[in-house]
Amino acid sequence: MLDKLRTLFVRDVRISLTYRYSFVLSWIAIPISVVSLWFVSKLVPPSPHFGVNGMEATYFEFAVVNVAFLTLQTAALQSFDNSLRDAQMFGTLESLLATPNREELIVLGSALWALTLAVIQVCWYLAIGALFGLHLGHVNVAALLLFALFAILATAPIGILSASFVMAFKQGAPTSFFINGAATLVGGVLFPVAVLPHWLQVVSWWFPIAHALGGVRGAMHGASLAELAPDAGWLAGATLVLFPIALLALRSATRRARFDGTLGQY
Amino acid sequence: MIEFRDVVKTFPERYGVINWLRRRGRMPRRRAIDDLSFTVERGELFGLLGANGSGKSTILRMLVGLISPDSGKIVLGGIDVVAEPVRARSRIGLSTGDERSFYHRLTARQNLELYAGMCGIPHAVRRSRIADAVRAVDLAEDLDRRFDSFSSGMRQRLAIARALLADPDVLLLDEPTRAVDPLHAEQLRATIVDLVRKHGKTVVVTTNLLEEAWNLCDRIAVLRAGHAIAVGRGEELRERAAGRRHYAIAVDRIDDGLLARLRAVEGITAIDFTGEPGAGRLRVALDPRVRSLNELLAAMSANGVVVTEIGPQPISAADLFENLTSGTADAG
Repeated sequence: MLDKLRTLFVRDVRISLTYRYSFVLSWIAIPISVVSLWFVSKLVPPSPHFGVNGMEATYFEFAVVNVAFLTLQTAALQSFDNSLRDAQMFGTLESLLATPNREELIVLGSALWALTLAVIQVCWYLAIGALFGLHLGHVNVAALLLFALFAILATAPIGILSASFVMAFKQGAPTSFFINGAATLVGGVLFPVAVLPHWLQVVSWWFPIAHALGGVRGAMHGASLAELAPDAGWLAGATLVLFPIALLALRSATRRARFDGTLGQY
Repeated sequence: MIEFRDVVKTFPERYGVINWLRRRGRMPRRRAIDDLSFTVERGELFGLLGANGSGKSTILRMLVGLISPDSGKIVLGGIDVVAEPVRARSRIGLSTGDERSFYHRLTARQNLELYAGMCGIPHAVRRSRIADAVRAVDLAEDLDRRFDSFSSGMRQRLAIARALLADPDVLLLDEPTRAVDPLHAEQLRATIVDLVRKHGKTVVVTTNLLEEAWNLCDRIAVLRAGHAIAVGRGEELRERAAGRRHYAIAVDRIDDGLLARLRAVEGITAIDFTGEPGAGRLRVALDPRVRSLNELLAAMSANGVVVTEIGPQPISAADLFENLTSGTADAG
């Protein structure tokens, strides 16, 4: 199975590299985004809201980490249905599903490159951020990796549910778009959740990205895994509950597409 | 090796989430495969012949598990295709001939490496398998060209190379010579025959080319509206399809009244007149089971016509195809 996942990964790397200009531009866009946040941060004084455990931090430190790690959520939400939709549109889905593999492997494997690229882009974000004063000296690397993984795993089921919708109805579900948009409001990406009204803070609690970013920021400031356990527990629970549901939905959607004879349609 | 037993397949008449919600998931469906039964023996080259929309491609897609039947049984090498689609697919190579089934921005080699990997072909033999497959379809020189630079015929041949990659027991080839130039089409047919005769593969070919089906296949199933209206060897079907014998008959005189009387003769299924009023030439289609040629001549004589020349007319491929696919021929 690993070899097949590697095969799909290599395919996507090769295709991605044939679009050289957009590939290069996607890397140039990141420093531009970091510099923009740096200028905005000059207008906002440091505040304990931006730090962890009451420690004061700059807006730049707060926002650049959040925006970087939001990339993971976006990739987890969109890469499954995007890759499936592309395969439908380009006509390659049927030929892949005619190989002796389960549909789950093909759908999950087709998102691997996008997710890997997102992880590399997060590192690029942080590296550029460091040039502008982002302090990386206290990072709890293990906790950071754990929350990066959770940011993907807890959000991926929603992306897979959207892919199921694409499989059955040949169009993307609005869920990914809605969740990604809502995350910037209630996920604590551009401003701390603490400044939201109470009822929006309650809504925020239900969004995986709020917990993932909380954990990531804690890990960036050197918080221990024990201190971050509530967020980690929430994300682990969400992953365990949502992943099987998403995989069942995908299987059911594929079964329906096979029955309707629409696997190859777009 | 392959068995279709009482297979029925329907498709929704409409698609889309709005229609689905409006009808609470119960869409009206049209029947595409109608109570279809046939078997393909191991090592047989089996043809599916039919007009567009007769269900040929649907049958191949059902065999590979891309479409599931409403009812009936599909068995491949003892494996229930519906219950164990992944296991069944490990024994099948499918060539759909759909140009869109490849990655246009990758080279032919990169495309085949992908499918070799997805078929679980070990790294150690992947390179040699790809080389063998492209050699069989005469694309060895073009392996490192991007797919989007390939002509339609080359794309078709690459699809067959892809089907050969995993060295499967069963090859399903959907119109394998479509868009291929005559020289390569002949080479492809020879390759297909070799695969069956020398390597013992079981091959199912769909085609709407009558001569291709006759010359290539051991047996043929003729499809009409998703139903096998005839299954048999090419020669048997030709005999059956010929059904009506055609004759060109020169006569001394002819008029509308005489034509009407001849048309009323039992066993004459069609009669056309060419030439000037008076003497002319008739093209007569006769059902030999109802009336012999002698009886036809006697009927003409009784109607006062003198036959000056008579000769059989070979039935055209188009007439044969029409006879077969319109159901004029006997079911077998």
